[in-house]
Amino acid sequence: MTLTKATQATKTGDFGKRKSYIKRYWQLYALLSLPIAYFLIFRYGPMYGVQIAFKDFNLFQGINGSEWIGLEAFREVFAMNDFYITLRNTFMLNFLDLLVSFPAPIILAIMLYEIRNAWFKKISQTLLYIPHFISWVIIGGIVYQLFGTQSGMVNTVLQAMGMDAIPFLTDKNSWLITYLFTGVWQSAGWGTILYLAALTGVNRELFEAADVDGASRMKKIWHITLPSIKPTIITLLILNLGKMVSIGFDRPYIIGNTAVREYSDVLSTFVYRIGLEAGQYTLATVVGLFQAVVGLVFILGSNYISKKVTGDGIL
Amino acid sequence: MTRNTRRGVMKKAMGAALATVMGVALLSGCSGSASNEEAASGSASTGGERVTLKVEVFDRGNSPSPHTITNNWLTQYVQKEFGDPNNIDVEFVPIQRSEETTKLNVLMASASDVPDIVFVYDSSVFFRYAQQGGLTDVGPLLEENGSNIKSYLGDDTLKFGQLEGTQFAIPGKRAITARYNSYIRQDWLDKLGMKAPTTTDELYETLKAFKEKDPGGVGSKVIPMGMALAPAQYEPLIYSFIKPVQEDRTYSQRYELPLHEGFKDAMQFLNKLYNEGLISQDFSLDEEREQLNKDFQNGLTGFMTEDVGQILYADGTLENLYKNLPDSKVVALDAYTNDNADGKHIKSRYGTNGLYIMIPKSSKRSAEAVKYLDWMTSGDNLLTMSNGVEGENYDMVDGIPVIKEDAAQDVKDRVYNAGDMAIMANGKVIGDQEMNEKAWIAGFPKNNQQLMRESIDVANADTVGPIIFDRPIEAESKYGTALNDKLKIIIVQSAMAKPDQFEAVYEREMNDYMNIGGSALKEELEQALQAQN
Amino acid sequence: MSARTSNRIFDIVNITFVSLFVLFCLLPFVHMIAVSLSSNRAITSGEVTLFPVELNWSAYTQVFSDHSMLTSLGFTVILTLATTLLCMLFTIAAAYPLTKGNLKGRKFFMYLIVITMFFSGGIIPEYLLIRDLHMINTVWALILPGLVSPFNLIILITFFKNIPPSLEESAEIDGSSYMHTLLKIVLPLSLPVMATLALFYAVGRWNGFQDALMYINDPQIYPLQLKLFQMVQNNMVTELTQMEGANRTALTPEALKAATVIFATVPILLVYPWLQKYFVSGVMLGAVKG
Repeated sequence: MTLTKATQATKTGDFGKRKSYIKRYWQLYALLSLPIAYFLIFRYGPMYGVQIAFKDFNLFQGINGSEWIGLEAFREVFAMNDFYITLRNTFMLNFLDLLVSFPAPIILAIMLYEIRNAWFKKISQTLLYIPHFISWVIIGGIVYQLFGTQSGMVNTVLQAMGMDAIPFLTDKNSWLITYLFTGVWQSAGWGTILYLAALTGVNRELFEAADVDGASRMKKIWHITLPSIKPTIITLLILNLGKMVSIGFDRPYIIGNTAVREYSDVLSTFVYRIGLEAGQYTLATVVGLFQAVVGLVFILGSNYISKKVTGDGIL
Repeated sequence: MTRNTRRGVMKKAMGAALATVMGVALLSGCSGSASNEEAASGSASTGGERVTLKVEVFDRGNSPSPHTITNNWLTQYVQKEFGDPNNIDVEFVPIQRSEETTKLNVLMASASDVPDIVFVYDSSVFFRYAQQGGLTDVGPLLEENGSNIKSYLGDDTLKFGQLEGTQFAIPGKRAITARYNSYIRQDWLDKLGMKAPTTTDELYETLKAFKEKDPGGVGSKVIPMGMALAPAQYEPLIYSFIKPVQEDRTYSQRYELPLHEGFKDAMQFLNKLYNEGLISQDFSLDEEREQLNKDFQNGLTGFMTEDVGQILYADGTLENLYKNLPDSKVVALDAYTNDNADGKHIKSRYGTNGLYIMIPKSSKRSAEAVKYLDWMTSGDNLLTMSNGVEGENYDMVDGIPVIKEDAAQDVKDRVYNAGDMAIMANGKVIGDQEMNEKAWIAGFPKNNQQLMRESIDVANADTVGPIIFDRPIEAESKYGTALNDKLKIIIVQSAMAKPDQFEAVYEREMNDYMNIGGSALKEELEQALQAQN
Repeated sequence: MSARTSNRIFDIVNITFVSLFVLFCLLPFVHMIAVSLSSNRAITSGEVTLFPVELNWSAYTQVFSDHSMLTSLGFTVILTLATTLLCMLFTIAAAYPLTKGNLKGRKFFMYLIVITMFFSGGIIPEYLLIRDLHMINTVWALILPGLVSPFNLIILITFFKNIPPSLEESAEIDGSSYMHTLLKIVLPLSLPVMATLALFYAVGRWNGFQDALMYINDPQIYPLQLKLFQMVQNNMVTELTQMEGANRTALTPEALKAATVIFATVPILLVYPWLQKYFVSGVMLGAVKG
């Protein structure tokens, strides 16, 4: 990096300028050097592993010793019907999450912010983030107990009231709703934390001014509270868009089941099935590489659009 | 804290962090991308010099205090009885049970960190390692140091560890091949004045009677037949319809069941049971059998199949049922009959093998590794490793170790992970199958021993075992996981389809099964079968 | 409708909704506490919902008498503190320079970091790296690989950028160095987000066990969550336990599982209320005025 900088400086042909530039910024580069070293060693160091996608990977020959196969593995993956189904599902579940689970913590954070009773506010914040700490395995058990068709508590109540049982978990459309709301339940409280941190920056004087104008609560939220957390929302939105084709393993796998596999089968479970469990690292790496490229395109694209539209971006 | 001191602390911390990173960077400089580095080990000479033998051990997080998985009574026993006399330090390397293959793959790839003795239950993992050239040929080593192993396993069981005639693994030995059993509520039958069903048709009639007459008085919650999406429930049902490929042997993998004649009949029957409300309606959610056992011990279930012994453990499902409903009574029975196999009670049995025990090619201690396994099968070592100390943990009665129930907890804790340490045996290997069964039964609560005996007898009738090919079926390692998943989908979709849609759903799912590897698998299996004959 | 009444209605609806949500979040936890205090029979028969059945404390007695649990708790607390501290230092060190738009190479560094959010070498090269750095079986393997989360870094950059430039400029005009501005102005103004990120790192470390699964063989330095994972997950591999047959060891009783979950969760739950004191409104405002 120093080299690029040096050439740039020479190009300007002003030695003094370069010197003063370094004098001015050396502290920043010194600060940056530590984390950059980290990224180079721990993140880029193992990066040679991506070649596995282009090799017939043999555990015992190692990555360098394995044979090159070019794009053969890509062809194999792209010819699999399951790949497209799981890609579609991944996209669908992420998109629905974006519609439902993404705004949920924003709304919840604003609601918390609007609470005046400090004691109630503190207690509820602390309790709201409990679900984040319960692992999916345990949540899965609880979800089955609550939403099972035959013996689930919710359906027992529904039936006692003379209604039909709802197959929350075994009908694919009902399952989507179960999946989404479990997600909201698990992450909304936790997600508020960042927005609450951002909300500490709201200028209280603006509220006083609005009060003088007689603005309603909703109006104040819309014109004062929301704009002040806009940069945070945009940053998180862009980061989320970058994850549109990647999805965690636990939630779809544990909340999903064989009866709704048509929707619950996603790229991560697909990779687990064809790759890691069956020891086919090559195929798993191919899918990972595909996800990485698409994710990068998404994040750069949404960043570009956001900069054009709102002036804010992450890069 | 004042501002200044805080800043000072920060500076110090940054300095420390910087030093760390620099150190790391220096170290990484010499690493390059060496991925197949030779195992770092000094001289391989065994004469006189003390060496370390590394042995894998499953860690299930159940070590009772003060034991740890790497230091407990059994590891000490191994060190004292095998290690010290042979001038070997035996070091145990824990691998988390549920992540074993992931970790093992990584260790195998590292070459240097992999234990000298590793093992898996999954045959496809074994074949993959062997085919990729990662395993030591133990044939010559067995000739040299493995006389006890050879006589203990016998040629038949040893075959499980061969790839095209080369011995790449030493199989553990399975004590008991009995697998599945059926249980029924005798008190329900009595109330209805019915006899225990002896054929699949009678079973169906019994289930209908359970549903309509509700002998247990549990109302709409009644589950005539307990079902779960687990092998112990769907395999016995499927086996009672399929025609085995050979007389008493058939394809070994679960996902090969759809390739059998009669599989469709099984699915059709399951569809009927589901749509008539005769089986657990949420079975597709119950892969861990939690709901199944819950329903059974709450007295809602009339009939179910289970792994032999599964419900008979102390504090287990059966004891809980008797606690919840003191008037209930459960008996073992052999209800399913197979019309595609002369009306016999066809059911699956285990192969005679247990773990695939392997020595990685990178190991420098292959001779010591075989010595260790040979030692384990010699003398009373397996007996001690499985049961503890005679007179303290168990008493010998008629040649069978009977566990002393009244032993102190710390004495019992000696062998808390016996099953994972005595890797040469799966279950308690005392002698022949009959002796092993007796020893197994002796480990159950007194009140359940009679039922356990009956369960084993039922489970041993008309069994079908796995065909052993001497080379791996390529399609198994390639498509196995995906097909296994597909099998579950076929079962669930076929069962839950409306009766008039069954044909269409079944055809669709089977087509899919064939397309994602089923046809390739079928072809290869048939070729292998011909080659064998 | 007067502004006052509409205000009241807003408050009532708001508080009702939040209370309901809180209740939903709390119930599963209450259920687990009930399970941890019930008998095995009652649990497996499905009798336990929100109150213990056949109340007994044996699960907790067992957890607290297990020395390895207590050691593991102590180790995990220290590990979490150390990790959080280092992670914060590194993240701040990266974030601050990257907010300076006129810093040469800033874009390049940003891309360098963003790429790592998507591309990684995979499990085997990562293990080999840790081995080559001689960090297998050391705490460093649990700390260093996750030192900077690009996600957290980008968030911190966003917050730093939102500090009114006038504040920093005034410091710069005063001739103070960047380091000085960072420590004296930027950080004190960013306490809420720093507390948040520290929480993210701490919770990430507390809940993480996948790395320990790969890198740690010594039971002495198992993080608590690894022990929990063993208990909850190891019993759940149906297909494998079936092959194990009679080799299968007894399952962990449900009550013990639940007690362990509680034991491993409560300490980290206590962190947030303590961090809340940094969530003070108007830090920024005070500074502008001052």
